[in-house]
Amino acid sequence: MHHAWIDGAPAELAAAAATAARLLDASRQPVIAGLGADVAGARAATALAQRIGAAIDHMNADALLRDLDVMREAGVMLTTPSEASLRADTLLLAGPGLTEEWNELPQRLLCARTVEPGAGADRRKFWLCPRASWLDDDDRSGSIHNISVIGRETGDLPVLLAALRARVNGRPHGFARLSPSFPQALDGLADALKAARFGVAVWSAAELDALTVEMLCGLVADLNATTRFSGLPLPPGDNAIGVLQVCGWMTGFPPRTGLGRSYPDHDPWRYRAARLVDSGEADCVLWISAYRAKAPEWSGSRPTVALAPADTRFPKPPRVHIAVGAPGRDHDGVEHHPMMGTLAAVTAARRSGALSVADAIAAIAAHLADAPPSC
Amino acid sequence: MLTRIEGGRIIDPANGRDEIGDIWMRDGRIVDAPPGASADATYDATGKIVMAGAIDIHSHIAGWNVNTARLLLPEFRLGSPARPGAKPLSSAGWPAFEIGCLYAAMGFTTVVEPAVSPHYALHAHLELADIPIIDKATLAVLGNDDFLLGLIHRKEDRAAVQDYVAWTLGATRSLGVKVINPGGAAAFKENVRTFSFDDVVPSCGVSSREIVKTLQHAVNALGVPHPLHVHCNNLGIAGSADTALTTIAAAEGLPLHLAHLQFYGYGKEGGRGFSSEAARLAEAVNAAKSVTIDVGQVMFGQTVTVSLDVLRQFNARNQARPRKWAILDGDGNGAGIVPYNYRSADFYNAVQWAVGMELFLLIDDPWRVFFTTDHPNGAPFTAYPEILALLMSRDLRAQWMAGLPAEAVAVTTLPSISREYTFTEIATMTRAAPARLLGLRDRGHLGAGAIADVAVYEDERDRARMFRAAALVFRRGELVVRDGKPTKQVFGCALAVEPERDRAIDRRLKAYYEERYGISDDIIKVPDHAIGRPAPFELISCAH
Ligand SMILES: [Zn+2]
Repeated sequence: MHHAWIDGAPAELAAAAATAARLLDASRQPVIAGLGADVAGARAATALAQRIGAAIDHMNADALLRDLDVMREAGVMLTTPSEASLRADTLLLAGPGLTEEWNELPQRLLCARTVEPGAGADRRKFWLCPRASWLDDDDRSGSIHNISVIGRETGDLPVLLAALRARVNGRPHGFARLSPSFPQALDGLADALKAARFGVAVWSAAELDALTVEMLCGLVADLNATTRFSGLPLPPGDNAIGVLQVCGWMTGFPPRTGLGRSYPDHDPWRYRAARLVDSGEADCVLWISAYRAKAPEWSGSRPTVALAPADTRFPKPPRVHIAVGAPGRDHDGVEHHPMMGTLAAVTAARRSGALSVADAIAAIAAHLADAPPSC
Repeated sequence: MLTRIEGGRIIDPANGRDEIGDIWMRDGRIVDAPPGASADATYDATGKIVMAGAIDIHSHIAGWNVNTARLLLPEFRLGSPARPGAKPLSSAGWPAFEIGCLYAAMGFTTVVEPAVSPHYALHAHLELADIPIIDKATLAVLGNDDFLLGLIHRKEDRAAVQDYVAWTLGATRSLGVKVINPGGAAAFKENVRTFSFDDVVPSCGVSSREIVKTLQHAVNALGVPHPLHVHCNNLGIAGSADTALTTIAAAEGLPLHLAHLQFYGYGKEGGRGFSSEAARLAEAVNAAKSVTIDVGQVMFGQTVTVSLDVLRQFNARNQARPRKWAILDGDGNGAGIVPYNYRSADFYNAVQWAVGMELFLLIDDPWRVFFTTDHPNGAPFTAYPEILALLMSRDLRAQWMAGLPAEAVAVTTLPSISREYTFTEIATMTRAAPARLLGLRDRGHLGAGAIADVAVYEDERDRARMFRAAALVFRRGELVVRDGKPTKQVFGCALAVEPERDRAIDRRLKAYYEERYGISDDIIKVPDHAIGRPAPFELISCAH
């Protein structure tokens, strides 16, 4: 089995790493994209970006930055999945994509036992605008009891949330276009949310626009005037939260940050990898996807170095492909834990000789022309 | 390699020295002057002040809270002036990398991150590992976690609590234990909005006092050098001095450390119902010999408050400037990030500044009052040089007071205080005493056998300038800073204790995590290999 390829042809790791280093050295504006990596991989990638002046982006940064934007524009109340599971007596699920983003959600949240009296299996559950197909799937929805569904179309969600927030605050909802059955349901829901002892709103930013997330966070904040309520944004995949944390402590900013200047420059529009590639501003790409065999979505012909599983199918072979293993499967690592909502060490489930992203970057960095920076 | 720092004024209160002399270093340790030997490297310190590397016992420099503050506030670079022309990551200021460089430039070589919620320990240690030059440590926060509240509620014996504390310290690789608004975060989850020392968490009936006393005894019995580190209830509100006095009285002769006492130095006197109670607090601290405190000095300017005191941060969210915040209902503890701007023209902020100064100056014993701003809550740690200058000059304080609202100064005793800190008192407060408080026998002094962490300063009239940029800093005998500029990228370790425990507690916690969360208790553990640097931890021994 081969572990490295140059222009699609099997190659020695050292030769592939040397070729990758030459491409990155020759680049005027490299971008490190995908960034599906564990904490060690993200640390190595960020340090490499600093060294070669690259921009860094994560493949799920759209969703990541949508939640982050609400926080840095207004304010958020958050909780962890574990706290929600243990304490929530009321759950407000908002929008589609929740079970896709967290496939343990039904057993962890909807059917879980809890430490709180009145919570747990008999907790009150509401779902605003789930994906219609999900509810129509008897196998899945049948496993969840007593869930009240209000609204079906995702497009209705912003208006529903605005109306709900108005009712929670004792104001008329003022939306003439609400369908006739909604107002009564919303009043009942507003009362239920206000009666919660510890309520949790759950959403996935991958499926919502920023205004909807902001409305939901505003609703949660408002409810805390009289009761306790908190928010649980489901983390995007590919260790997006782990990478966000690393980027934060190493650069001060989330992904979509440029490290080519004398200071880290965060600009979500400018440093979006797809835009950098499509516009031709980036002249070399380091693509990282350790968790799954995913190739970049853009079609540009920029020279690409890929750190991805051996079975990744690329539309066109990258200049260099170094096979990497998956954290927690092929090798130990640290990543965001979906239940605890924090960074946790994971042990290899079936340890293999596959390289980690950090190993692969170290191999490339050993061939770079300049020396690592000092203090 | 034998290194000599020659002809400086050595200020080493742990060894009773204030004299002109030489410091010799070999293999990372201070050594006695070797007779007849000649140094491989000699540094001239003539006319300069030589002290051990400084130790900060309470500064929020890593973890989920600190990182969330960065992500909340991309528009400001806290704690760092711009450094044009510097390397990319080093100019960012707030990132981990710059924290180490800025601390080292001031002559600090060891810093304690004092608020690590156990489930976030690995995150905190990973972040600390990317802070260069200085050594680090964490305090694990207990007191709002269901496991401990359950032990107290069921009146289980002290050994069970001790084993649990020992297990937590070992798993999270911490140097000590802190409680933060004990019971307050748990009560807030049950919609309680104010919580005092004798209030109880409704669901379990356990009071803040019981939590503090239980943990104080456990830490003491385990022989953990650092006493229980307490962030009291009612932080920041008028009348909070009563809470602090009650907590001081509850020490009952056993070691207890009260964090950032300034934030509890407030009474309800005066036209605005807000006044300084610093004199009364200082009197109580002076009398309670087993109690130590750090100040949490406020300085004027924009900052961000980061705290696991979720109840306080929630109540303060509407004072956020800029107007945004993040509040977390977390496992065991909560958290809150609230940006804030301390203004010298503001009556309340001016009183806060004066209360901190009063505590520094009215507590007699520099071995029991510690130098902090509760970074970044009172001010970023980069404000330390200005604070040292204020402590060393009553004239400078008078100048500052002249610029503050007169009605604020009037509700304090600061104008009547003439004390000026000496170099020996500064070195005691920032070196010798912190080492003793944390149980670090080979730090904070310049005697033979000590780790060769040494700071050399120009003896300038402008004390702020002097302490801002050390002339030379050595870390384990190696030059790491010259003229306030880092010269070498090295990475230190984290100091931790691992008290003895009955391993039955391990089985109990394994079952607890599996039953409660459906996952392994490994989630809380910080293995060496996860840190990604060689020898990431150094073990500090316990008394028994
Ligand atoms: Zn603090």
